[in-house]
Amino acid sequence: MSVWALSRARARPAGHRTLAAGTALGLLLLSSVVLAVGFGRVAISPADQLTIIVDRLGGRPASIDPRIASILLDIRLPRVVLAAVTGAALAAAGAALQGLFRNPLADPYLVGVSSGASLGAVLTLTLGLSPVLYAAGAVQAAAFIGALVAVGLAMLFAQAGGRTSVPSLLLAGIAVAALGGAVTSYLLFFHGERIFAAFAWLLGGFNASDWPLVARVSLPAAVGLAGLVALGPSLDLLQLDEEAARARGLRVEAAKVATVGLASLVTAAAVSAAGLIAFVGLVAPHVVRLLVGPEHRRLLVLSAIGGAAFLVVADLVARVALSEGDLPVGVVTAAVGGPFFLALLWSRRGRLG
Amino acid sequence: MRGVTRSLALLFAVFVGACAGAAPGSPSQAPSLPASTTATATPSATPLIVLDDAGRSVTFVTTPKRIVSSAPSDTELAFALGLGDEVVAVDKFSNYPPEAKSKPSIGSYIDPDLESIVGANPDLVLVTGVHLAKLVPALEARGIPALVLDARDIEGVYLDLLLLARITGHEDRATALVDQLRGRVAKVEQAVAGAQPVRTFVELDPTLFTAGPGSFLDDLIRRAGGINIAAGATTAYPQLSAEEVVRANPEVIILTDEVTGVSPAAVRARQGWSQVSAVANDRIAILDPDIGARPGPRIVDALEQIAHILHPDRVP
Repeated sequence: MSVWALSRARARPAGHRTLAAGTALGLLLLSSVVLAVGFGRVAISPADQLTIIVDRLGGRPASIDPRIASILLDIRLPRVVLAAVTGAALAAAGAALQGLFRNPLADPYLVGVSSGASLGAVLTLTLGLSPVLYAAGAVQAAAFIGALVAVGLAMLFAQAGGRTSVPSLLLAGIAVAALGGAVTSYLLFFHGERIFAAFAWLLGGFNASDWPLVARVSLPAAVGLAGLVALGPSLDLLQLDEEAARARGLRVEAAKVATVGLASLVTAAAVSAAGLIAFVGLVAPHVVRLLVGPEHRRLLVLSAIGGAAFLVVADLVARVALSEGDLPVGVVTAAVGGPFFLALLWSRRGRLG
Repeated sequence: MRGVTRSLALLFAVFVGACAGAAPGSPSQAPSLPASTTATATPSATPLIVLDDAGRSVTFVTTPKRIVSSAPSDTELAFALGLGDEVVAVDKFSNYPPEAKSKPSIGSYIDPDLESIVGANPDLVLVTGVHLAKLVPALEARGIPALVLDARDIEGVYLDLLLLARITGHEDRATALVDQLRGRVAKVEQAVAGAQPVRTFVELDPTLFTAGPGSFLDDLIRRAGGINIAAGATTAYPQLSAEEVVRANPEVIILTDEVTGVSPAAVRARQGWSQVSAVANDRIAILDPDIGARPGPRIVDALEQIAHILHPDRVP
């Protein structure tokens, strides 16, 4: 038995329970966004914030200091939105992969995404590109492509007789990740003078986000999330063994490939913008599963909302916890997520088998 | 991935000792891009257009009065030019001169907080090559001039001083300062001229990362009358094995990793090192890595200290 199987056994929550959980998570997201926009390094009073937002919505020139308006609307707000999109993407990808692998420890980085993205980013950061290419988003593009190439490789090697073997995919993912990690380490080792830029990327975070970046990330994330939600019923069927699922009319191969592909797409989008942020994709689906059970469509939707709220709050903590500068947001997610996960396991220990 | 993270953490620990606040990582096309100006400065009206150390052209319509420094080396350059009052915020690794520590902070040098920077309302942000990928584009998008100062050698430091002075309208100060620094360097080089070069090993961390060709310390050792035992390495920060160090038999060992707990006594206690000349003759010295690796004016202090370590008879 596992946490995952356990929550499956505790399934069948009534509709109103889903509704209640959905409402609660939605309100949580909303209030965390309001809170996150409200606080930052530069103090802006709530009244001023309101004026700034009303001015912008009304298309009027800012009646408050335009620089302060710009800090709120063009620095802080895109940062909060990007944290939300990234959290949603990672949590949904985690939920989908936990379902596909039927393993509670699966996370979005399992099949090589993180390794490929890191390699792409570190490659561009150690090569020393021209400022123009960096400004054009070369690091993010390389991370995105690297993530998808790594997953593609893992899927290629997991093919056998026209079928994708899920255990093979897991192993191929580990192998691809190890290989990518080796190259990344090599690059870092021999470009010590560039270690800071690479280190900052690998820690992950939302500093210096802007609206164009939000747009570039949101498009693939939205497509991928919609696709995953549509795959929900297929993931439910995949909880049976594959033969049984096939007998019930599921195109098992297509469902597996689509799940891995879409989960990787949303993860690649998230990672390319925010670096590697731990624990969101692992913890959020577990919490939601405990609330509403394992049915995948609502699990995916609510995990996305919960993950978004979690990462928005984590980034807020990262921004304001220190007297100056940021904490890496990955430190916050791991520091909150780790103990939370342990507490969850402890409280359920009698039933974990 | 976890393996990568772990090795990263290790490497980070290594280089934080070596270059904490150094400004590594400008584009690799040219070893040292000249920080030259391409337009003439006039009192106001005509914009001043300069090329920075990353080869970017940066335009100034007015003389900057509110400077944010994103790196300790940048902070030292600005303060050395007497711009302390114009500096409105610094990164939190900026610990020199002591006045810099009382300036508002923009957070870590590695990833300074954009909101804090914009909140300080700067008309010039000093950055390094590390900031090219993320911070520089963000500043450019907001029309805030960002100047990459990323010297690779002592000459580069002079050029950075002259460039920053030109932008801020203090060329007289820079000329005087650079003349003075050149004089001190020349004095050291004269003192060690003709001396038997001293085989030197610089230990950046206990796992024997060292300074290779292209690093400041390599240049300083040569100027100070030494031969860097890692001069033949292929990268700026190579790692040597203990076997290589013992075989190279350095006459002097310079430790910049005191902060990690390494001391001359600890080096003497290392098994297999007792026959190394520097150990046998007790010529193991400590150098503050902030001075030896930051591309700022104190690099000349480092040169004088290293020359004294290598040739105490010639450089008191």
